[in-house]
This record gives sequence, C-alpha cells and structure tokens, in this order.
Amino acid sequence: MNEVEVNEIERSGLSKFTDNLKSLAATVFGSVFRNGSPNSDKARASAIFNNFFLHIQGTKTHINTLRPSYTLGLGLISFFLLVIVVASGIFLMVYYNPSVENAYQSVKNIIYVVFGGNVTRNIHKWAGEGMIIFVLLHMARVFFTGSYKSGREFNWVVGVILLILVFVLNLTGYLLPWDQLSYWALVIVSNIMQSPRELTDSLGITRFFDVGTFSREFFLAGMVPGKESLNRVYLFHVMVLPLIISVFAGIHFWRIRKDGGMTKPDAFSPTVSDSGYAVPPAKTAGIFPTHKTYGLMELARGKTPSVDKDIENMVFSWPNLLIAELAVLMLTLAAVVVYSYYINAPIREFANPLIPENPAKAPWYFLGLQELLSYSAFMGGAGLPMLTLFGLFLIPYLDREQYNVGTWFTDRKGKLIAFEAFVISTVLLIGILVFAVNFGWLRSWFPEIPQLVITLVNPGSIWVGFIIVWSLFVIRRTGSTRMGAMSLFVMFLVSYVILTYFATEMRGPNWGFFWSMSQWPIH
Amino acid sequence: MYSRFYLSVLLMSGLVLVTYLVLTAYDGVMPEWKHYQIEYKELLIKNAKDDATRTRAQSMQSGLRQTYLAGLKREDRCVNCHLGVDNPMMADAKLPFKKHSGNYLANHPVDKFGCTVCHDGQGSATTLESAHGKGHGAHWDRPVLPLEYVQSSCAQCHDFDMLSKNGGAKVAGGETLFNEKGCRGCHKVNGRGGSLGKTLDKVGSEPIAYFSMKHVIGDHTVYNWLKRHFEDPQNIMRNSEMKVSLKGSDSALLTMFAMTLRSDEMPKQYRDMKYTPEVKLNGESLYKRYCIACHEDGTRSLYNEIFNRTIPAIRNPAFLKAADDKTLETIIKEGRKSTQMTSWKTVASGVSDEDVKNIIGYLSEKRPAEKYEPFPIPMSQGEPNNGKNIFETHCSVCHGKDGRGGEDRLGVSLRSPVVQKMVNPEFLAATIRDGRSGTPMPPFGKDAIGLGDKDIADVVAYVRAFPK
Repeated sequence: MNEVEVNEIERSGLSKFTDNLKSLAATVFGSVFRNGSPNSDKARASAIFNNFFLHIQGTKTHINTLRPSYTLGLGLISFFLLVIVVASGIFLMVYYNPSVENAYQSVKNIIYVVFGGNVTRNIHKWAGEGMIIFVLLHMARVFFTGSYKSGREFNWVVGVILLILVFVLNLTGYLLPWDQLSYWALVIVSNIMQSPRELTDSLGITRFFDVGTFSREFFLAGMVPGKESLNRVYLFHVMVLPLIISVFAGIHFWRIRKDGGMTKPDAFSPTVSDSGYAVPPAKTAGIFPTHKTYGLMELARGKTPSVDKDIENMVFSWPNLLIAELAVLMLTLAAVVVYSYYINAPIREFANPLIPENPAKAPWYFLGLQELLSYSAFMGGAGLPMLTLFGLFLIPYLDREQYNVGTWFTDRKGKLIAFEAFVISTVLLIGILVFAVNFGWLRSWFPEIPQLVITLVNPGSIWVGFIIVWSLFVIRRTGSTRMGAMSLFVMFLVSYVILTYFATEMRGPNWGFFWSMSQWPIH
Repeated sequence: MYSRFYLSVLLMSGLVLVTYLVLTAYDGVMPEWKHYQIEYKELLIKNAKDDATRTRAQSMQSGLRQTYLAGLKREDRCVNCHLGVDNPMMADAKLPFKKHSGNYLANHPVDKFGCTVCHDGQGSATTLESAHGKGHGAHWDRPVLPLEYVQSSCAQCHDFDMLSKNGGAKVAGGETLFNEKGCRGCHKVNGRGGSLGKTLDKVGSEPIAYFSMKHVIGDHTVYNWLKRHFEDPQNIMRNSEMKVSLKGSDSALLTMFAMTLRSDEMPKQYRDMKYTPEVKLNGESLYKRYCIACHEDGTRSLYNEIFNRTIPAIRNPAFLKAADDKTLETIIKEGRKSTQMTSWKTVASGVSDEDVKNIIGYLSEKRPAEKYEPFPIPMSQGEPNNGKNIFETHCSVCHGKDGRGGEDRLGVSLRSPVVQKMVNPEFLAATIRDGRSGTPMPPFGKDAIGLGDKDIADVVAYVRAFPK
C-alpha cells in the first residue's frame, strides 16, 4: 500500500468533493479540449487531432498552402462569409415576419428600432452578395492553379453546386423585404424561369411539355407573385437551401482533407519569405520521424507511399494554419462590418403590382442573364446558363492533363493563352454589344422571321458558340486540353463581368441603351 | 511563435473590427433621436419656473417612444424628436421641440391620433430624413405634408360644412373652388362627373411614380406637381387637354382639395363626419359644377385652342331659339359624337335626370318668347344643286367642305342630329339669314352679305340632304 492510496482512504468524501469543485474549471476545459495550451509538437498535433472542429484539417500543413499568394484565402473568405451570413440571418429571423402584410414593416422596424438592426441587415446583405464574388474568385483561383485535377475532379463539381446554391440563396433573400425591388425582381426571375416556353412554343409542344410554366409555378406557388410565393421563398431561404449548402460545404471540405489538402507544385522549394508565413516544426521533439509514414487510411485509397518526399515542407497546423485562418476570419469580419457600417442595403417603397419599376431589373448577379434574355428568352433564361453550368461541370473530365498541377496558369504558355483569351473576348464581346445596340438584330431587319431562328441565332448564342469554337481551336493549335479549358474559362469570366456591368450600368428604361444611369430620363 | 504576417493581419483587422463594433453599438445606444431628447431635457430644466417642475424635468427618462395607432395598425415614432408637441411651455421653442399650434391636440390627443394621420410622413422611421420621407432617395410615397397643405388631411374624418366653420376654411375653400370651376365637367369624383379627364377619387394618395416630374419646378412631390399643374397643365404634361390656369393662392386651395381625395378610408374610431342628405342644388350651381369649365358663362361661343373647335354658346338667346328643352335634353344626355361633349346620362356621368332638368331650366332662362321671324318661302322649294355652290362659296370656310365643322374650324358640325333632324329647316334658314349673335356666325341675308331668300332655302336643302 503506497502513500497515495493511504491518502485516498484517509481523506473524507467531502474534501474530495471540494477538491473537485476547485479544479472544476480545469477539468471541464481539459475534458472538452483534451489538451492544455499546446507547447510541444505532440500536443500541437493532438490539439488538432482531438478537436471536432479542427480535425477537418491535417495536423500538418504544407508551406505552399500558407503562402497568401497561392490561395489568396478566397475559399476561406467564402466560408467565413457564409458563417457571418448564418449568424446575422438568425438575428434577422428573430424580427422578420414572412407575410405580405408584415414583411415590409418588420424590415423597417429592423432598420429603425432594433438595436444594431440596420448594420446587421447590411452585414447579412453584403456578406451574402460578397459570397457570390468570392466564390467566383475562389473558383477562378482553383481553375488557374489547375486544382481541379489529380483526384479533385468531383470536388470541383461540388464547388459548382455550391456556387449555384449561393446564387439561389442570394436571390431568395432578395425577395423577402417585399418592397418594389423584391416584387419586380420576383417578376423578372419568374419570367426567366418561364423562358423555356419560348422554345416549346416555337416547336409547338407547350401543350404536352410545359416545363417553363411548371418551374414558374413551382417558384411562385402560382402564376403571379403573392403571399404564397413569399412563404415559399422564405422557406427555401431559411431552411431548405441552408441545409443543402451545409451538406455540400461539408462534403467540399471533407474531400479537400481526403485529397491531401491543397494542391501544390511538384517542384516546391521553400523560399526565405516563407518564414514570414510559417514556423518550422521543432525538430528536437523526436516523436515524428523525418520520413513521412502512411497509415491505413492512405493505403485504403490505393496511394503508393512515397517515402522521404516533401516531409521537409510540412509544418504543424497548430499554430501555423490556425493563425492564418484566424487572420482571414478577422479580416473578413472587419471588411464586412466596415462596409456595412457605411453602406445601407437598399429598401424601396412597399411592393405595388400596379407600378412596374422601369427598368425592372433582376438582382445584379443575374443581370448578365437578363441581357442575354433580352435577345432570346429561352437562350438567356435556360439554354445558355444550362450550357455554361454543364461546361463548368465537365471541365475536369474533359481536361485530364496532370502537367504542372498547382502552378498558377500552368506555365508561360498558359499565361499567354489566358491573356490572349482575355483580350480577344473583351474586344469581341464589347463589339457584339455595340453591334446589337447600334443595328438591332434579326427581328429589326426581318420582322416576319420565325422566333425559332432568333432563339438559335442571337448575339448570346453566337457569342457562346464562338467561345466553344475558339477553345477547340486553341486545343488544336497547342495540342493541350488544359490550354483549351483555359481559354474557355477566361472567356466565361470576362463574359460574366462585362455582361453584368453592361446590364447594370448601361441598360435603362425599356431596356434601352444609356451611357450611364445619370442619363436615364427622369420620370 | 506565430507567423508575423498573419499575426499582424489578425491584430490590425481585429482593431478595425472592434472600432466599428463600438461605433455600431454607440449608434445603437445613441441614435439620432436621443440627442434631441437630451437637448429637450436641458431645455425643460432651463425653462422650469419652480422647483417642482425642475425636479420633474430632471427625472425625465429618455427612451424610444411611439404611439401605436390601433385602428391603422402602425406606429408613429415622431414624438421621439417632436418632444414638446403637447407641452404649453414649448410654445416659443424651436423645432422640433415646439408645441403644436392651435388647440388641435385638445380634440386629437397624440396617444390616439399620433402624427401621421394628419401630417403624413413615415411614422415608423426614426431618422429625420426617412421620417419626413422627402425626395426620391427616401423611397416613401407619402412624404410629410407642408403646413400649407395639412388641412387636406382634415377631410378624411370631417365634412366640409363642419370644416368651413372650425378651422378648416382653406380646404373647404378648395372644395368650393372645385365645384365652381366645373372640374367635374371632365373628372369624376364619387362616380359623378364627365369622362374626358381622369377619375380623381384616389389622386391624393397616389404614389409619386404616377406623376411625371420631368417639368416640375421645385420639390418633386405630388402636391407640388398638382399645384404646378393647376397653374399651367400643358407645361407639366405637354398633351394635356386640361383647361385651367389658376393663380397662386387658388391653385394651392385646389391642390389642398385634390389631396383630400384618398383611396384609404379612415377607420371609424378616427372619423367624425356628418353624413347629411345631399343638398338639392339649383340650376346655376349645377351649371357651374358640370358645364362652366368648357362653356364658361355660356353667352358667347368660344374657340378652344386645345380642342381645336368652337364651343357653342348654350345660354345665348339665338341658340336657345333653335334648341327647345327636348333638344337640349337629348344633346346633354347623349352627348355629341366626335366632340368633347360627352354623354351626361345617369349611367355615364352619375348625374340624375332631375339635375339635368335643372340645368336645362337654367340654360333656357333667357330663351326669347318669340322664336324667329318667319321665313317667306317654303323650304320644300330649295334646290340642293344650287345650294351646293353657295355652300362652297360662303359656308365651307367655317363649316368645312363636307359640313363637318370640327377641328380647326370655327363652325359647328352641320351633320349633327340636331341640325339634320331636330331643328325645323325654317329655323336654319332664319339663322343663315339673321346670323347668330354672340357667335362667329354672321348674318348672310340681303341686308348683310346679300344672299336672297331663295339662295338660303337652297343651302338649307343642300345641308339637309347630307348623307346621314
């Protein structure tokens, strides 16, 4: 019997209780986090490993991942914006009332009397729209570094699904205040959803296959916007879509982890400046071999253990990755709050079906589509967006070259091809818009022309057709599918930006052309 | 040991974040209205005459105040800044602390009526700009009414009779003006009036988007649009056919009345209106209400530059000689096709048969007893072929080659049923011979232009033979 056991027996029950009480904070904290503040490499590893929220990250992180110039933090920013949107959204849900009678007034009350309500509403609005921008930028980063390759093909597809979800979430939120903007955006968007009718009408099959009207009714819960639409849109906005986006975001992150973290160039060597972003592991700890070993998980994935490779360039996630993530979180939060402090989210007059806004415009992120829609309802509303999404989905399957993954623009040629695509698409697209504005299109020259011809041949479809042909030409010229994909993607980005800008700034009443909003006729 | 780069990003953005969270919280704790409340409290303490008032003033709590208007289901938060509305000590204070003028609040306590019932504006807003709701950027359809138009709100709950005696003289004056200027000749209100112009029932509450502000000088508000429009309609809407040009004070009165025509009815608990049976109006008042806008006093025919046609002098004895009561009734009730004279049947205009009768009674007051000097030769002798030549020489200048008169011509249409069917041909002949005083129709007889009786009979025969 040693001394400790004797003490156990001799101590009274009550003193044990008081001891437990004294150490309560430490034991509760310890049971939750399992470690104290980590001060050895083992503790740093286990801090990540044993934490539900942190274990989605590896215990070690590649230095390349920590370089701000590689990821630009875009994916993280998108995720943090989502977190901000969810948090501010719950706050708004407390006050918002999704009924036609009360929705507008409850938003006004959030603005005028709820403590911090106006700024929170702005945060929700701007963080939500920021997601669109940052998800697109993130997508561009992933594309240009070739990160949709080497096992990450499906994660690219998940990413495109997330992009669509971000669009739809933003759109459903746009409709909730039930002001003039909401109402007329609802009208425009439901018209976009009905646009397949143009094709089914031309083919004369609307009677049997009216997919346009079906999707409009599905969205509006009827043929015109009303209280049922608001109810439905609200349900989508606060429940269905957030659930779906959480699931897909989870899959997205999980696959990153399973794919071995971020992509990195094959020939990676740390530079002096890397010491500014990462602190190398303490070699003295001695619990990790200098050679990387592989466990069952990696073998199950059929990877050949490539021993003695790359290990030098890994650093501990705690604190290297965590401080980087925390910095990006703080930067995102600060930017959103500062922007929201100064810029108010718009709110117009109460929705009035008798007073159309002129021009009635969809939310800005759909204005590129609305511009295409003005040429042909089917092509702008269904055909071209479907084709674009289909193309985005297929990129990783049609371009399977594994050369120089993890390098921006692949190589020197890639940079040239991207620059070439940028210049050509900017010039040609602006040219097409100028032509369509100046000379009109087929309908202005041949008033009797069948709609089917215009559906097939209009500035939008010609432009998309050109993009595809040009990409095929690039593939033929360079003998590389990656270069073709590069042209395609650059031209997609340029089109989105130019069309959105054009339809936002230069389309005025009756969708007429104006050099700027200040030239719109005053009503 | 942390990366210096990320640590500095973290710390700097943390600093910015905390700063702006503090600023947001400060705005939450000290919103715009709270500064007014603090200032008001100081004013109260300064103005206190005795210790009791001073103590009371010092115990004033600041906080969000609002009046819930149960009947209208909305909140008025104006009193957060307009703190002295019912405080007699604030009679001479500056805005927004000034006491409400007059003794209106005695009968309209703020806790029942709030402010926007009379003053409009965005009651739920808590900042000056959005609460007053003025200007395009405010996106509010009912901006606060300027003092000169506030009386228009009284008519939501009170009748004009009561208002004219109890401090609502201006809005009652506007109503009188509306009735006496003959606005109802073109516009319907409450289902009664002509159909040339727009129905005015909701004009006072229509959203600003309904009004083209392009040529409006001054504030872009509905009331300013109305006022400018009453002064010069064509200046605001180029192709308006409205015939009115009021001077400053009259146009303000009429604007005030127009602003009373609102779509939403006040809930019962706010209203105090006597629904007296309608007063029977005499012929003269009815004439003013429905006819005067076009026919003016009715003694002279007028060439209207907007209609591009001549408006007949319907109270002119010479005209009345031609038109007996039956004819007048037909014209009034059926209207005149292809002219601005619309039908005044009850179903079309809401005007009762009795009122039409009264109007006819007023019109025919000056009808001469004796009809006209008899015409010496019987009309059946007229030869249309000769009449045609004479018509083209003498008549077509004003009545047009086809006798349709109408646009851009001084003469009236000779193809109207009145000329063709209702009037005795002999009367037409007498009119041609003697002319019609008070109108541009000159005498054509021997003593004047020199047409013989036979020629006149020929013209009548030609006119009556126009294909129907």
